[in-house]
Amino acid sequence: MNDTGQQWQVEQVLALAPRPSSVAAAQPLAVPSRWAASGCDDRAVWGRCIGTSAEPYDTVVDHVEVAFRCTCPSRAHPCKHAMALLLLWVRGQVPHGEPSGFITSWLARRVTPSAAPEPIVEPAPDAERPTAVPEPLPAPPIDPTSSRDDRVARMRAGLADLDRWIDDRIRTGLADPSLSRYATWDDLAARLVDAQVGGLANRVRRLAGLVGNGAHWHGQVLAELGQLHLLATAGRHLPDLPPHVADSVAVALGWQVRQADVLAGVPDTDHWVVMGRSDTREDRIEVRRFWLRGAATERWAMLLSFAAYGQSLDDSLVVGGTVHADLFRYPGALGLRALLGPVHERSVATTPPRLGTVRQACDAVGAALAIEPWIERYPLALVAAPTLAAGARGWVLTDATGSLPLVPDAAGLGTLIACSGGAPLALACEWTPAGLVPLTAHLPDRAIDLGPVAEASFVRQAS
Amino acid sequence: MTAASLAEHWELMVSAALLGTDRRDPPEPLAGPFADSFADSFADSFADPFADLAADWPQPTASSRLLQHVAAVASARRAGLMPAAPTSLLDPPEFDQRPATLAPATFSWQRIATQWPVLEDEWLLAVVANGWRAAPELAVPLLSRHRSDATRHARALLAVGPLGPWLIALSPRLASSARLQPSAEAVATLPELAIVPELVPLLSAQPRQVARTVGAAVENGSFTNAHKGVLVNFIARVHPLALPALAHSLDSVHPDSAAIGLAFALADLAHLRLRALTELAPVQSAHSYPESP
Repeated sequence: MNDTGQQWQVEQVLALAPRPSSVAAAQPLAVPSRWAASGCDDRAVWGRCIGTSAEPYDTVVDHVEVAFRCTCPSRAHPCKHAMALLLLWVRGQVPHGEPSGFITSWLARRVTPSAAPEPIVEPAPDAERPTAVPEPLPAPPIDPTSSRDDRVARMRAGLADLDRWIDDRIRTGLADPSLSRYATWDDLAARLVDAQVGGLANRVRRLAGLVGNGAHWHGQVLAELGQLHLLATAGRHLPDLPPHVADSVAVALGWQVRQADVLAGVPDTDHWVVMGRSDTREDRIEVRRFWLRGAATERWAMLLSFAAYGQSLDDSLVVGGTVHADLFRYPGALGLRALLGPVHERSVATTPPRLGTVRQACDAVGAALAIEPWIERYPLALVAAPTLAAGARGWVLTDATGSLPLVPDAAGLGTLIACSGGAPLALACEWTPAGLVPLTAHLPDRAIDLGPVAEASFVRQAS
Repeated sequence: MTAASLAEHWELMVSAALLGTDRRDPPEPLAGPFADSFADSFADSFADPFADLAADWPQPTASSRLLQHVAAVASARRAGLMPAAPTSLLDPPEFDQRPATLAPATFSWQRIATQWPVLEDEWLLAVVANGWRAAPELAVPLLSRHRSDATRHARALLAVGPLGPWLIALSPRLASSARLQPSAEAVATLPELAIVPELVPLLSAQPRQVARTVGAAVENGSFTNAHKGVLVNFIARVHPLALPALAHSLDSVHPDSAAIGLAFALADLAHLRLRALTELAPVQSAHSYPESP
């Protein structure tokens, strides 16, 4: 594991893939047994990939300036060997070492006098900027070969392309049979990845899953296209937005923020109650969300972890437990995503922070969507009972102030109903446009984890 | 503007988008007091930058005009989330006076279900016999897990109590799919497991003898991985009083022994069975631990 404080995440590596198949090709090579003479330092990671050819391939990746060198004949950039080497590195399976001559000389040729990170967002004039908002996001660590201007131009071109594509769909109609073909969406997603707006690529792939799904899919797809249009437009006007909103848009587009920059921020210290957990598959990555809530501040925070095929998800937190810890929040208007800093104390049993009503939950969702209209999930804590909606039109959570629908076939619905016995109980849920996803039943003496769980065949269970 | 009128307007937009603006003109933007109301609502709901952006968006074509409108209305509808009317609560299941199994027992069942299912019949029977009921979070997994096995499903229903039929009424998928009704005797009886004749006398032997015989046989290689199935069945049925000594003897197998992997697995099984039975001690004496032999 490198100690530069610039450790990448798996998602950052996967975002480099020139095409989705590159990830699949790299996975079998991302095992230590396929590599010899591997090593890393605070600038590069290198190794010799032993494959099927007579000669092994020498691979080196500059993980600071982000560049690749491999002796394989592939025209993909980065090739599967570089991707595999990076995957090994982020898993901490590459030992520290001294680079050999050819690596040193290659790096020396790459060194440029000015390597200071630049903001990805054009700064607005200081006079127009509120003083109490965070600075714009720093440059992402992923920059294959070009300057910041090239990156921004590529992003803008990608967003314009997306908007044209959506406009064409609206012109020709959602009944167009081509929309039912996954390739239609996958091609668009691949172009968005090329334009370095991977966040939108993920949304497009999720959107593909809505087509033909249920009687009202046209309305759901149209609403999502509207959200994409909103993000594409906002993304092309980043300099015109207040910095904290620009940061939110940039994150939604898929720009990466260095962990070191997040950890350099002001810590948010509290007794954080682990209110819920949910796993979702994002293309080829399993994403785990831990929703935390401050016992004192009652602020929400979200910790994300990722696992590609065969990797294990973070299970360091126990649903229902409490950690007295410093959290460091990513920039953004809502500022939900955070990194867990130093943990001062862990405890198991706790009482959940103040819980709301169904109506208060609606207010909370509305307030969050007014700040970031494109969010796809938001945490809620409330006391309500699961019951059948009038006319048996699915399950809802209800209390004296109203009722809200649960997503059909929610993973933990049966256990939620069993735990309630028909009576109200303390719950943590995720709001999604499709309905509420039950995450946790906070019973008086224990918390029952109801959230969606990653497929055991995809992720490795942590030992 | 009401939620109903916005919903009607949304349906018009969906219809236009479904056919495409080449074939159908998009609905007129909300006009008059309705539009003013919508604009106010939008301005109230969203941060100024988005409203400014919306005002600046070009509207050269019918499709882009509809798209802009869709973005605004979709966002407004989501942000304007309102609860439906309160719904009547479900009638609760009949009261079950038995205490629910405690969290450690729940954890043990989860380990049994995933790693040592050979212990599950005994776990369920111990729940029922000792005056417990399965914790409610186990009801759905227990019933769905044994849908195709009438005897075990009936056993699970006994452990779950009145909550079981209540859940089945709400979700018929939890009912048994087997056609034959099991006899009460079959439900209440621990199924027999295949145990080799040489081990049968040890089932009720003195704990020290059981521990010494099995531990030594594993350590000296008389029992190998090929015998694992036989030994698992034996440990699942040996007298519970023999479990502490047996687990200890298996824990004591030398780490360099070729059978250390087998010993480790069998010790885990013995520990888990001992713990599960301890957790399910009769309600009156719950939390008391059996004496070591």
